[in-house]
Amino acid sequence: MLNIWLLHFAETIGATWFSIALHESFYAYAWIESIHVITLMISLGMLIVIDLRMLGLWLTNVPASTIAQRLDRPMLIGFSIMVVSGVLLYVGIPIRTTQSLWFRIKVILLVAAFINAWLFRRHMQGSAGTWDVAAVPPRRTRIAAALSLTLWAMVVMCGRFIAYDWYDCGQDNTAFIDWAAGCVAEGEAQ
Amino acid sequence: MSLLHYFEALEASPIGVFVKDQAATFAIIEAVHLMALALLGAAVLSADLRLLNVLLRDVPSNTVTDQAHRWFKVALIVLLITGFFMLAGVATKCYHNPFYWAKMIALGTGIVFVFAIRAPLLRKDHAQIHPVTLKLMALASMAIWFVVASSGRWIGFSG
Repeated sequence: MLNIWLLHFAETIGATWFSIALHESFYAYAWIESIHVITLMISLGMLIVIDLRMLGLWLTNVPASTIAQRLDRPMLIGFSIMVVSGVLLYVGIPIRTTQSLWFRIKVILLVAAFINAWLFRRHMQGSAGTWDVAAVPPRRTRIAAALSLTLWAMVVMCGRFIAYDWYDCGQDNTAFIDWAAGCVAEGEAQ
Repeated sequence: MSLLHYFEALEASPIGVFVKDQAATFAIIEAVHLMALALLGAAVLSADLRLLNVLLRDVPSNTVTDQAHRWFKVALIVLLITGFFMLAGVATKCYHNPFYWAKMIALGTGIVFVFAIRAPLLRKDHAQIHPVTLKLMALASMAIWFVVASSGRWIGFSG
């Protein structure tokens, strides 16, 4: 049911002139994809500095809260560009992306990374005057930072895998893969 | 032997066969290459934006650039190793791809720039260096790595 609705949603987007124009413009699509990849250096770049500080591996002589606060804004600018370019990439190829197993895993991982970041931010706010200046933060902080890096590494991997057609609908997939990718059988979509 | 023969030999070598044998092998190496690109971005941007007084203004710039350089080296090593493996899988295609050569020229420029100019200069006390020199170097550094990353991405579009 959900998959049929998602497919209709994707088909509606795919039928718009904007989606067709994006899809058919080689340079527009390729540059949006390039921007999506290159902005990794800002979004994940800043995130990596923060997380490695929390692991006690980078800028350990600077208070953890200073690193987190100063790099927060550039990181969010980077992620904003990622979201905008990511949405445009989806709009350019909506149907295939909706039914991509890797895209679905990526979205779930993004939600997990977001929840982790939100909890982490609350944890950071309680750090002032406690472990803030410690070169190596407490175990709980290090676990959150390691989890963040792992989740983002998996996001990057799934993002890269979307480009491959391994488990596309219509291939000789197992029933489980077809279910997870949200493949809708012909005739069912009406 | 011409240069093309070396590329053909690399693609036919056990490394080339290993990378090409399964589509997933190439894709996983690509993903690791991208993660290392993010780490390179962390090192380059934290240092360069500090030199431009955009980020971390209350942290001494020597501290930021010294520590960033260490992670830069880690990122570069991972990028070079994964990049070599990716090349091995599609070597002859790369040989005929202008973006591949553009990237190699930019990469060579970047490596020489970092190790021959940037790192020796930044090891000195930044207060003794003219601020304009520092800022121009930061801009040049960001421009070089942007060209390396974007021409790298375009190898895939034009193959």
